Amino acid sequence: MHRMNFKSIKWRLQAWHGFLLVALVAGLMIGFYSFERRARLQSIDKALQEVMTSLLPKLSPAGNGRHNGPGDSRGFRRPPPPEFGGDIPEQAPGGFRARAVDGVDLGKFYYASWSPEGRVVSISTNAPPNLLPDERSIANTPGMIRTAGINRELTHHVPNGFRVIAGTSLAPMVAQLRQLALWLVVIGSSIVIVGSTIGWWLASQALRPIEAISRTAEEIARGDLSKRINSSETESELGQLALVLNSTFARLDAAFEHQKQFTYDAAHELRTPVSVILTQTQSTLNKERSPAEYRETLEACQRAAQRMRRLIESLLELARLDAGQETMKRVRFDLADATRECVEMVRPLADERRIVIRLELSPAGCHGDPERVAQVVLNLLTNAVQHNNDNGAIVVSTNPNNGFSTLIVSDSGPGIAPEHLPHLFKRFYRADGARTSSQGRSGLGLAISSAIIHAHGGSIEVNSNVGDGSQFTVRLPLA
Amino acid sequence: MRILVVEDELDLQRALVRALRDEGYAVDSANDGEDGFFNAKNTDYDAVILDVMMPRMDGWEVIKQLRKIKRTPVLMLTARDQSRDRVKGLDSGADDYVVKPFDLPELLARLRAIIRRSANKTTNQIELGSVVVDTAARNIMHSGKPVELTAREYSLVEFLALHRGEVVTRTTLYEHLFDEDDSTMSNLLDVHVSNVRKKLGPEFITTRRGHGYCIE
Repeated sequence: MHRMNFKSIKWRLQAWHGFLLVALVAGLMIGFYSFERRARLQSIDKALQEVMTSLLPKLSPAGNGRHNGPGDSRGFRRPPPPEFGGDIPEQAPGGFRARAVDGVDLGKFYYASWSPEGRVVSISTNAPPNLLPDERSIANTPGMIRTAGINRELTHHVPNGFRVIAGTSLAPMVAQLRQLALWLVVIGSSIVIVGSTIGWWLASQALRPIEAISRTAEEIARGDLSKRINSSETESELGQLALVLNSTFARLDAAFEHQKQFTYDAAHELRTPVSVILTQTQSTLNKERSPAEYRETLEACQRAAQRMRRLIESLLELARLDAGQETMKRVRFDLADATRECVEMVRPLADERRIVIRLELSPAGCHGDPERVAQVVLNLLTNAVQHNNDNGAIVVSTNPNNGFSTLIVSDSGPGIAPEHLPHLFKRFYRADGARTSSQGRSGLGLAISSAIIHAHGGSIEVNSNVGDGSQFTVRLPLA
Repeated sequence: MRILVVEDELDLQRALVRALRDEGYAVDSANDGEDGFFNAKNTDYDAVILDVMMPRMDGWEVIKQLRKIKRTPVLMLTARDQSRDRVKGLDSGADDYVVKPFDLPELLARLRAIIRRSANKTTNQIELGSVVVDTAARNIMHSGKPVELTAREYSLVEFLALHRGEVVTRTTLYEHLFDEDDSTMSNLLDVHVSNVRKKLGPEFITTRRGHGYCIE
């Protein structure tokens, strides 16, 4: 963001802004210049008309009868030049030129007149060489204006055939306009420079929050997920964007943290069985052992390996449930039937510890994957046996209830302390603090159960009082 | 040397106990924190190997309670290897810290090290005149020649050597050389002492009547 990136929004804004500014200023300046030029030309033309008006009576002898003939003016009574269209200055003798017509102050104007035959009747001394009347001029028209080289000329065609031309040099005007143009360029450039600077500053101001967002996003992209965008201006559009991004980052952060913890816990769970295998084999191989000792070692290794296999299976199952890949069957089945089958499976385990299982099963049809639901029921029943006291009791009930099929498993065990309850369905969470368990529990059973029930659109919850047993409630949508 | 192994993973506990017995240690074991603490409180072990994650009373609690009454060297054994856990373990009074899965030889070396440190020794070699005890190799040299000793005999010499100059009572020797599983007669100790004297010279171990034994 700090290097010159010409594709950046800032540069694009600046380019557009600069382009528009230059176009606007140039347009204004060109407009002003042409207006000025036209106004000046108009005033020159007006002056030429005035000069013509004062010249006509003197230079067109026949006139329309209302003018005095040129013969009345003494300075213009001259022999006409030999050929119309000839080279006037060469053919005009020095005395032929006049500085002024009587009564008219010609100043910077010049003039000339031609007879109907095309002979120069009169020409002023300051007239440019090769001066000819405007051929487009037609009798009785107010006159034709033309620009010949650096000069502006008005040709008047008098009805009697005489043609009069009055002209003036545009050089002073051109010089003034050039001066004006120079000033316009200087002023225009200044406006563009100042405007661009202000534009750049404005763009920087407007884009600063975006730069802050992008910097933070870069830091987050580099791996620092704890960073957040400073979103003090929550009212502005960018503030809203920052809020949205921050909440996204927070969720990402939590997801990563969750994933990290899960991976860490999974690796951690593998440590104990690996330690068993390593220590067992290393100590056994230390010296010659009896066959019984070798057998014992192999059995211990087998137990450790089986535990790892169970853990890996659980982890894979959870990963599939997480990814939504575990295809759940959608069939109608009776939760009571499924529960009854599971109870028969755990009964030998319960009998060993003289735990009584009481059934209160009402038919409760539900919709889902019976095998997966049975897995959950079995998990809850196994937990109820394992976390029960010898000679304890387990009550299992199923009911259709409030649009749900409900399964309740209650045990008479020691109960779960309130601080453990919110974490019970978390992965690898064990209320008894023992990470390593020779009974082969992975700490994933309830997490998997919870994932399965949620995939069915149901819910699972626990109630427990220390010393008063625990009660797990599963709700599944009714069939 | 008598060691207590507190570990709730029974397969691991059995492997550790066997490995330690192979090394000549007398070994007791406990399956959870409460039993472990009870044993450690009532017997003067030369070292305790203590697992962290255990039911009923975890390793942190055991070491916390134990440090209030005893300075027994403790080697923590855990599946956690995050730095803050190691710091917590060492700060709470553990002498060393081994992360699962560990290498058995390394665990044994660390165990020897904490026992050595608790006896204020910096090397594995203890020189007693012409006799040199190597606690790492677990052998004894007399005038530059190796001496063949049984595991019990070696343990007896090692214990007395680590407490050189002190009079060690018979009770203490029984406590440190034999574990709960040993069904030994009281005169067995005298047999070991007499065997050592035969191998290393009659003056090597002196008897203080009514008190115990001593290596000068």
